Amino acid sequence: MTAMATGVALVLTACGSGGSSSNSGSDSGEVTFWDTSGPNESPAFAKIANDCASKGGYKVKVETQAFDTALANYKTAAQGGQGPDVFRAEVAWVPQLAKLGYVADLSDTDLAKDTGDFLEAPLGSTKFEGKTYAVPQVTDSLALLYNKKKLADAGVEPPKTWDELKAAAAKLGGEKAFFLNNDAYYALPFIYGEGGDLVDASAKKIVVNSEKNVKALQTAKGLLDSKAAFTSLDAGNSYTTMQAAFSSGDAAMVINGPWAVADYLKGTAFTDPANLGIAPVPGPTAGKGSAPVGGHDYTIRQGTKAKQSSIKFVQCMASAESQAAIAKELGLLPTRKSAYQNADVKANAVVSAFEPVTKVAHERAWIPEGGQLFDPLKIAYADVLAGKKEPKAALDDVAKAYKEQVVTEYSIG
Amino acid sequence: MRRFLDRYWYAYAMVLPVVVVIAVLVLYPLAQGVFFTFTNINEGNIANPVLDRPASYDVVGFKNYLNVLSGGDSYGAFWGTLVRTLIWTFACVFFHYTIGLGLAMLLNRQVKGRSLYRVLLILPWAVPAFISAFAWKYMFNAQYGIINQVLRAVGLPDPVWLGQSDWALVSVIMVNVWLGTPFMMVALLGGLQSIPGDLYEAAEMDGATPWQRFRHVTLPGLRSVSSTVILLGIIWTFNMFPVIYLVAGPNPNTRILVTYAFERFFSGASRDYAIASTYGVLILSVLLVFAAVYRRALRKQGEVW
Repeated sequence: MTAMATGVALVLTACGSGGSSSNSGSDSGEVTFWDTSGPNESPAFAKIANDCASKGGYKVKVETQAFDTALANYKTAAQGGQGPDVFRAEVAWVPQLAKLGYVADLSDTDLAKDTGDFLEAPLGSTKFEGKTYAVPQVTDSLALLYNKKKLADAGVEPPKTWDELKAAAAKLGGEKAFFLNNDAYYALPFIYGEGGDLVDASAKKIVVNSEKNVKALQTAKGLLDSKAAFTSLDAGNSYTTMQAAFSSGDAAMVINGPWAVADYLKGTAFTDPANLGIAPVPGPTAGKGSAPVGGHDYTIRQGTKAKQSSIKFVQCMASAESQAAIAKELGLLPTRKSAYQNADVKANAVVSAFEPVTKVAHERAWIPEGGQLFDPLKIAYADVLAGKKEPKAALDDVAKAYKEQVVTEYSIG
Repeated sequence: MRRFLDRYWYAYAMVLPVVVVIAVLVLYPLAQGVFFTFTNINEGNIANPVLDRPASYDVVGFKNYLNVLSGGDSYGAFWGTLVRTLIWTFACVFFHYTIGLGLAMLLNRQVKGRSLYRVLLILPWAVPAFISAFAWKYMFNAQYGIINQVLRAVGLPDPVWLGQSDWALVSVIMVNVWLGTPFMMVALLGGLQSIPGDLYEAAEMDGATPWQRFRHVTLPGLRSVSSTVILLGIIWTFNMFPVIYLVAGPNPNTRILVTYAFERFFSGASRDYAIASTYGVLILSVLLVFAAVYRRALRKQGEVW
């Protein structure tokens, strides 16, 4: 095991030699930025990063990291004092990295001042135990994305409830009406819609096996059973299948976030971008739909040799202008209220469709274990949708796994 | 003692560098790994000089072993996982060996374009494992994968290959058989070519059927090669991590001991080094017992190694 860890650390050392080169005083003036945004978005981020560098008088090296493995790579690198100076962390990762001491405390820096302009939910993700560890980059949530032409041809409105979705499916040709991703994150709209949650962080309770959640999973399974939805039962392929099904026009509706839009617009069904409709996620009753807050933050690595430059870099990347440029080009949602006033941002169809969704998005527990809550739920949710386990039994197993592995000091119930 | 050193100091001095290197690279990490299994060490309490943080983990005795060996789901359902590991290992090695031997026999005769076949058959081995793994993952896609498209086209049922069932284990075994057969084929082809041709001629003169020739000339002639490659195959397959991880991900239906150790080491809010090391030690123990039994069995048959 030790040998394995060392091996990985050595490999990482070889490629990501952060600010360790050319040390002039306390700040090397060279910022390495790990961008985890993927091939659709990273060219735009790289361009803004380079603009920031040339304006700010420091050097920036943008290295792209695959989102799936970025957290593990960052942790391994940071543990050995290596890795990037600035890291784009998913909102759930920040408290975890803060607790382990891998990201720098920014409370005393300029980055923690004047945060009034940021939206509340993304700002909440940057705090851990009262200190500031990050700056919000983009925010997101899940929405119902639909193929306007298909729905219009079938004569249905985008459904507001799961029952409406079932009724619409009958006219849309059965199960191809809706693709249900069997990954845990995509179970959250069902769970939040019923008023359930995974854990209650303030009461230190595990509530994942509540009656509400059982009902939520029954609803999801019910969509499959009544042939109103289809899913990819091979969990490893479900995201790829979802993207393929919706962008080819095979599926009429999916639930996904703004990050996926660029992918869909490449598909044959959306050669005319106006064909992509965006609506709030359905709920058990109309208006009760609820989706999780997501997004990404900028963090600065603990032990960086370019802290001052990194702070300047993050300031520039998170400025209202940069956010507006990103929103305009990629349709990602700014975290600053002022950026929404920008005319270009207002004109972006994706941003304006998602903005109301994010305003009512469901808060997640910003605890260090937040990201790990999904691992056991992923297996349970896939089991339930495959018909291998009853929702109650599956969720009881999840609660047990949370208790034994994830949030050991919490109590079940 | 004094005379002993006087006489042999030179030999010991020559051996010393190797002993030191092995101690530093193998024995020390091994001892440290074993020590970790008696602690509650994880990413949050390990000492980290870079972050200026002292160690704060505690010794917990045999608690990790008790947790793992009691077979609880939260600790990887050890016994079920061990059985799955054994199924995986023996199924893979069995097909590697039989298919590899079959192909080697086909290639061991004069056929047109023999070198072309050889290159083609060795191809799976030459492709980096992660590329093959991703290619297979796409082929196994339940909706859009080529395998299910073909099955549907000829009217056969199309299973969800990488789903929540034992089909997932069948799928990863198929991928690993495809990947591992070339090695067996090359090794056995070498073995076949070292069997003197006159043995076959003599057997033919004595009226032996092809099956008898295979059974009494080929197989005994391959025994020394076979015993080595099977032992290597079993150890490699037992610890084969990339195929399962890349094709199936963290799916409990394809979980074997090493993939679970990896899950514990690399995922989790704070990486659980203690449980991962416990799995490491248990894997090592299983393989040591196996190697000892295997060696004894071979020695009985008169093999020396």
